[in-house]
Amino acid sequence: MSERRGSIRRQMLLMTSMVLVVVGGAALWSAHLYADRAARLSYDRLLRGAALQISENIHMLDGRVVADLPASAFDMLAMAPRDRAFYAIIDSGKRVVTGYSDLPSVPFDTLLEARDREGQFQPTLYDVDYRGEMVRFLGVAKRLIEADNAETVYIVVGQTLKARKALADEVGWFVLQFVALFFVLTLALLMLGIWRVLRPLNRLQHAIAERSPTDLQPLGNDVPREIAPLLDTLNYFMAQLQISLDRLKRFTAEAAHQIRTPLAGLHSQAQNALDEPDPEIRQRQLSHVLECSESLTRTVNQLLQHANLTHRFQSQPRVKVSLRQIATEVCRSLVIWGLDRGVELVYEGDEDVSVTGDAFALEQMIRNLVENAVKYSPAGSLVTLRLTAAGAGAELEVSDQGPGISDEEKPRVFERFYRSRNIDQPGSGLGLSIAREVAQYHGAELELYDNQPQGLVVRVRFNGEAIH
Amino acid sequence: MKALTSLLLGFCLVAIGGAQAATTEVFKPANVDASPDLVISGVAPVARIAPFLQSFAEREGLVVRYTERMTNEVSRLATKEQGGSPDLILSSAMEQQLKLVNDGYAQPYRSDVIRELPEWAQWRDELFAYAFEPIVMVINRDLLAGAELPQSRDQLLQLIRAKGPLVDGKIGMTDIETVGLGYLTWAHDSRQSRTYGQLLETFGNAHLRLYPDSESVLQALLKGEIFIAYNLVGSYAFDFSNRYPWITTVMPADYTSVLMRTALIPKSAQHPEAARRFLDDLLSTSGQARLGEQTGLIPVISEAGSSDTFAFLREKSHGIFRPIPLSLQLLLQTDAEKRRLLLNEWRAAVYPQQKPATDSAP
Repeated sequence: MSERRGSIRRQMLLMTSMVLVVVGGAALWSAHLYADRAARLSYDRLLRGAALQISENIHMLDGRVVADLPASAFDMLAMAPRDRAFYAIIDSGKRVVTGYSDLPSVPFDTLLEARDREGQFQPTLYDVDYRGEMVRFLGVAKRLIEADNAETVYIVVGQTLKARKALADEVGWFVLQFVALFFVLTLALLMLGIWRVLRPLNRLQHAIAERSPTDLQPLGNDVPREIAPLLDTLNYFMAQLQISLDRLKRFTAEAAHQIRTPLAGLHSQAQNALDEPDPEIRQRQLSHVLECSESLTRTVNQLLQHANLTHRFQSQPRVKVSLRQIATEVCRSLVIWGLDRGVELVYEGDEDVSVTGDAFALEQMIRNLVENAVKYSPAGSLVTLRLTAAGAGAELEVSDQGPGISDEEKPRVFERFYRSRNIDQPGSGLGLSIAREVAQYHGAELELYDNQPQGLVVRVRFNGEAIH
Repeated sequence: MKALTSLLLGFCLVAIGGAQAATTEVFKPANVDASPDLVISGVAPVARIAPFLQSFAEREGLVVRYTERMTNEVSRLATKEQGGSPDLILSSAMEQQLKLVNDGYAQPYRSDVIRELPEWAQWRDELFAYAFEPIVMVINRDLLAGAELPQSRDQLLQLIRAKGPLVDGKIGMTDIETVGLGYLTWAHDSRQSRTYGQLLETFGNAHLRLYPDSESVLQALLKGEIFIAYNLVGSYAFDFSNRYPWITTVMPADYTSVLMRTALIPKSAQHPEAARRFLDDLLSTSGQARLGEQTGLIPVISEAGSSDTFAFLREKSHGIFRPIPLSLQLLLQTDAEKRRLLLNEWRAAVYPQQKPATDSAP
């Protein structure tokens, strides 16, 4: 539980909040820049207007500069209601005609050079600290002409920055409020959206939680496209589980039946032998009891083997195993036992084929097949184990020269505990069934063919996926 | 004046000089004898403002020294370095007060009382209007002899033309070259009135008489030296016409200029804390009411309860009030060139035989 990877909801909120913060920050910053610029431009325009109006009212009269300042220029400056304003009109000899006589850093040379293409003087703006406050100044030159006289005057108008700052702050504050509102609204919408998106997952969780453990019916499919694969996998998993459960149920029933019947037989035969006065008959009956118990032991062994294999399939990881190595080992271990029965065991095949799977299970499969073949072979016959690489896959064949299996019986021999009627050999009827389960686990197909002139061929065909 | 007698206990006359000299009085609470806690320079006559100062001194337990000075002198004091400057300046010369603030000689002050002031009654938290002053014309009814009392500038001009030689040398004004308030109102006229040119011409032809202050004009009117006085301070004029029934104060119906008396604390004030207390009192509702009752000045806050409020003035006249706004526009009235041009016109009309001056007067 502690390894949970955090909540999707929280991650989405975190990501979107980060994006919002970045976007909001950028918006605020650019609004701040814009507000400063807008305030500067608009109040610069006031300065320009005031300077222009003053400039228009400066004339030469009898060789003297006359400045009749218009009230409108001051009305214009008064539009910044809390700002101090300063002005001066200065003649070419740097003598102040009227206004403030101590304006600092008037850039006379720049004012003279600032002309447009037609030679008209252009205003120059500059900021200077004056009388304890930062002041924005605008200076512009003007050429005065009267008959033979010509004179250049400089007009300087300045204003403190209160109104500009107030305007910039107002715009900034407005934008801040807007961004904050935008942030809150977007976050609320996002939370709603995330809740809606995650709702199918919650529904799914509830649907599963409310089920009984034995209910393995597929879940409904009213989920978004992105979650559908998860649901499909879940449903597939449950279907598999259902199959396994069914199989287990059937197996248990069959196993119970298969064990109970011989046990009952054993019990009655042992009871009979106990009551039999004739020692010869009793001897025969006791040997029959022994046979029966051997047969039961085989059955139990094979059932355990089967259970063991089933457990292995569910618990052991698949590894790379060499088929050739397993096949030769099985041959080696069974060759003596075969010779005892007058059956010769032959291994054919030079190539090595590796598959991904369970070595123990494969060995059980091959052993069962070979034992079966030897068991049903007449003395002096041949059992051949052949491993061949066939295209991308591989084939493992066990062929004998025994009686074979009729075509009607072929599909049935894979059923558990099925035993051919015309066979007198002892057996549990589980061998082929186990072999086929192992083959299926490895993605291989197990098929039966008739051998020529007589006998049976069991062929295990591994397809390409399991092959290395 | 009943106010004068009541304050005799409270102050002692320190200095009496000529027209140019400063008059100083000290107001203090009973049983206190100390150096002044608050030094005020003002343009208003001591006698007029005294009751208010005395009541302030008693309420706050402060010793207040008030010096009455000429307008220009007051402004010059504010620019002095530490020591020379008063703690508070009260002046009717709006343009000079505004220039002091614009040039950085005042210190800002903000308080609950000041926040209550209307926007137009203060500038930059440094200059505060405490009284209105309508600018009026005052006429001696003896002149009329059955003629209609002129209610506007046009009617005044008609009267002067009709009376002809009878009013020659009988029209009086303050000298706009020396009296700040005179210059400010005359400059305001030059912007407002289409009759300005005719006024100038008619006054010049009728040999306008000039006086150094408003009180002198009113005294001349009382003595019969003049019959008509133009551009006088309303509060003094109403006071005067209330006492002398044959003298009538008229707020011109075409427009009535209204200026504001203003206060500021100079940067180099030595007792700024006392000055702030005075401002808070002066601009509070109760202070404004007392100002109206005790000095006859017209408070700027109409809720002040006095009968002489702006609203009362409105009822008195059917004219239009043209207030001189407390804003940067006043800077124009301090411009030396503007002054030179205006005074040139003025001199050409008032002293036709002399050559126009080439430089500004003060």
